[in-house]
Amino acid sequence: MIRVEHLTVNYGAINALSDVSFEANPGRVTAVLGANGAGKSTLLRAISGLVAPKSGDIFLGERSILSMATENIARLGVAHVPEGRGVIHELTIEENLRLGAFASEVDVRAGLERQYELFPVLGDRRKKYCSTLSGGERQMLAMARALISDPKVLLLDEPSLGLAPQVTSELMNLILELCHANDLTVVLVEQNAKSALRISHDAVVLHLGTVVASGDADTIANDKNLRHYYLGLVQ
Amino acid sequence: MSQFLSSPIMHNIFAGLAQGVIYSLVALSLVIIWQSTHVLNFAQGAMAMFASYVGMTEIDRGLNYWLCLVLSIFVGLLFGGFTERVLIRPLYGKPEINAIVVTVGFLGVLEAVAQAVWTSTTRNIATPLSQIYFHNQGRLVLLSPFVIFQFALAIVIMLFVAGLFRFTDLGLQLRASALAPEVARLLGVRVNRMLTIGWMLSAAVGTVAATIVASGSFGLYPSDMDGILIAGFIAAVVGGLESPVGAVIGGLLIGLAEQFILSYWSADLAPLGGIILLVVVLMLRPQGLFTKSVSRRV
Amino acid sequence: MKRLALFANQGATSSRLVGVLLLTLLTLAITFVLPPVADSQLASGAAISIVVLGLSWLIGWSGQISLGNSGFMAVGAYATGIWAHHHASSPIIFTFVLAMAVGAFSGLIIAIPSTRLRGPYLAGMTLAFSAAIAPLAQNYTSITGGEGGLFFNTLTTPHWFLNLFSGQNATIDANAQWTADLAVVVAGVTFFFMANLFHSHTGRAMRLVRDNDVAAELVGVNLPRTRTLAFVVAAAFAGLGGSLYALINATVTPSTFPLTLSITLLTLMVLGGIGTLSGAVIGGIIYAFSSNLVGHINSLTGINPTSNLGANMQGIIFGILLILTMLFTPRGIAGLGPRFGRLVANRRRVAPLATGE
Repeated sequence: MIRVEHLTVNYGAINALSDVSFEANPGRVTAVLGANGAGKSTLLRAISGLVAPKSGDIFLGERSILSMATENIARLGVAHVPEGRGVIHELTIEENLRLGAFASEVDVRAGLERQYELFPVLGDRRKKYCSTLSGGERQMLAMARALISDPKVLLLDEPSLGLAPQVTSELMNLILELCHANDLTVVLVEQNAKSALRISHDAVVLHLGTVVASGDADTIANDKNLRHYYLGLVQ
Repeated sequence: MSQFLSSPIMHNIFAGLAQGVIYSLVALSLVIIWQSTHVLNFAQGAMAMFASYVGMTEIDRGLNYWLCLVLSIFVGLLFGGFTERVLIRPLYGKPEINAIVVTVGFLGVLEAVAQAVWTSTTRNIATPLSQIYFHNQGRLVLLSPFVIFQFALAIVIMLFVAGLFRFTDLGLQLRASALAPEVARLLGVRVNRMLTIGWMLSAAVGTVAATIVASGSFGLYPSDMDGILIAGFIAAVVGGLESPVGAVIGGLLIGLAEQFILSYWSADLAPLGGIILLVVVLMLRPQGLFTKSVSRRV
Repeated sequence: MKRLALFANQGATSSRLVGVLLLTLLTLAITFVLPPVADSQLASGAAISIVVLGLSWLIGWSGQISLGNSGFMAVGAYATGIWAHHHASSPIIFTFVLAMAVGAFSGLIIAIPSTRLRGPYLAGMTLAFSAAIAPLAQNYTSITGGEGGLFFNTLTTPHWFLNLFSGQNATIDANAQWTADLAVVVAGVTFFFMANLFHSHTGRAMRLVRDNDVAAELVGVNLPRTRTLAFVVAAAFAGLGGSLYALINATVTPSTFPLTLSITLLTLMVLGGIGTLSGAVIGGIIYAFSSNLVGHINSLTGINPTSNLGANMQGIIFGILLILTMLFTPRGIAGLGPRFGRLVANRRRVAPLATGE
């Protein structure tokens, strides 16, 4: 569904991504792993058109979305939950959700009801400002806002950041559930490799902007060298 | 009651508020674009003046006053959109001085062109509403049908802007684009278009103020909005530059301050009302009267 | 090491002195060949270039924006007028010192509540200040002469200078040229002062404050004091320029320094090149001869100079130039030199090293 080919991104003189290729498919969670500064966020930002790649190509289905405007990529059904969740604190919960619905033709009211059913905690406080929400609730809101437009692709940037282990675990289960239920293509960027690999089907490991490994998530999870050098997982 | 309405203090309050709503509208128009683009538009007054010239002088060709008013506002809308697209858009992400210089230059161009096209002679625009003050049991009340219309128009515009931002999808997208442009983009909001619409809206609100000025006793002339822009700017700063409500209240306060200085001190010094208010507010509460967050970008 | 730095600094100071001196002498020589009208224009240009230099320092070096320098000019001009009224025979240098001091003081008054303001806030605040001068002048008639303003005697040309001239219009010629020469010398002194200020410890601190105020504070720069100082210097320069301007015109009224003058000053500074000495010189030259330039454009395009359009051509052209410069070459005319230099250097396939600002 999302196919990245030989992508190279530079920030001035700094090489953020070089020759990165990978594929993410519907109904599967693809984890993008790596240490801080590996280029994970840059990869998602390039897919959403927030940074302009130097070379390479990005396909949504058969269509190249390279050099398309961010808002048009979003309107094609690519929902991107940015790092830090991107919840707008000065707006109410319902306003944040309504905002998510502009990317598609879905009926706003029906969409809202659907999300309130999925996330009852949001429905109870729909008129409250987002500054009143906890970190976990904000992540729920960001997810709901992404899902309301009925996307084909869900890009998640560090969703577990700042969440308690218990909440992270619930969140990961939810991601997997949503992926299966909606036949979503999920690209999950995580530093927390352990939680991400638990629910992923495929995985890509980035190191300093290059792909050092990619393939089946279980295989990567069991590769001793990868675990040790790149994923920070010790037995 | 009638005695109260004709008391000197009520004279001052009516006259002060009548001038104050003009400042409020200009301040509101400055806040709208400040919030979305972080540009303080020094050409705001001149743009409004220009649009009101284009619209209001059609009265010479027999166009109905009300249609002239509508035409002016429409021209203001177009003008705002044009300005954002052509002059302001290349400056996003550049140092803020660039936008200040460009808008100051635009102010100069507009006033010079207005003088070239319409001369600097003051024009009086005949309104269908009487500008003669009411009398109540033989006592003067400083309100006329035109002043009441002026209040009503200002209130309608303010409520319209508030309603648009608060309750409509367009308003929600405008607010999101101002608060978090990147997030809004990721959600499919056409942020560039929202910035243009914000400027259009702002220019139209400013134009309403300019048409009131043109129809009032001072008349229409190329620099008629200079002093009003300064008062409107001060009103916006007093209100905190982020707060539309603060801008409106700031404008009313300046109108009243000027009127009381005029009555009790000196007519020449009336324009200092805003500056005095500004200095007092900056000393006591530098983040503005109506800003919630303390860490304002100043 | 310290000794070495001191020597290097002295070398630079003397080279700057030579540069400014040469330019001043050259301009003085030019005043001898120019007709009286052009001499008067040159005098105004020299006065304005001082104000532009102060503004350039404020904006280019400290990163603060002022739209109020026409107000500081007005303050200097009124101080000059009031002083001249009471002490007509005192040496002119006292007048200039007074105008600078009063300008600096008004700068201080504005700077103190403004040091917490930046960017557009500051610009608006200073604009409000310059708009406040006219109402004040109109109100305090007994001091300022109200609407009619103040008139003072033209500068007295010394006898030895008069004697250089002979012929029919000797006095007129000599007066015009003396005024121009005086303005050029005053401008030369201020340019020399500013050249040194640019490269002084204060100048470097100023740049640091402009580029990174957090870093500046960390290395011990007192932010409010540095910002205030920048304002005070710019205001003193504007006061001096305003004083000269009023002396040249022999009058000051509430409308001598309108809002549009602030726009003109900004235009000249941007056109010349922000934060450079040569930019201020170029700005002054443009101001001095802008009416000739506009007249030329009018005659080229066949616009009647007495028509509405002809009379407003200057405002239109200045405004458009200001916008275009900011959009396309924000470093102004002074910035074109190095750019052109780089272009030539690239052609020659030499490493493109910028030759200074």
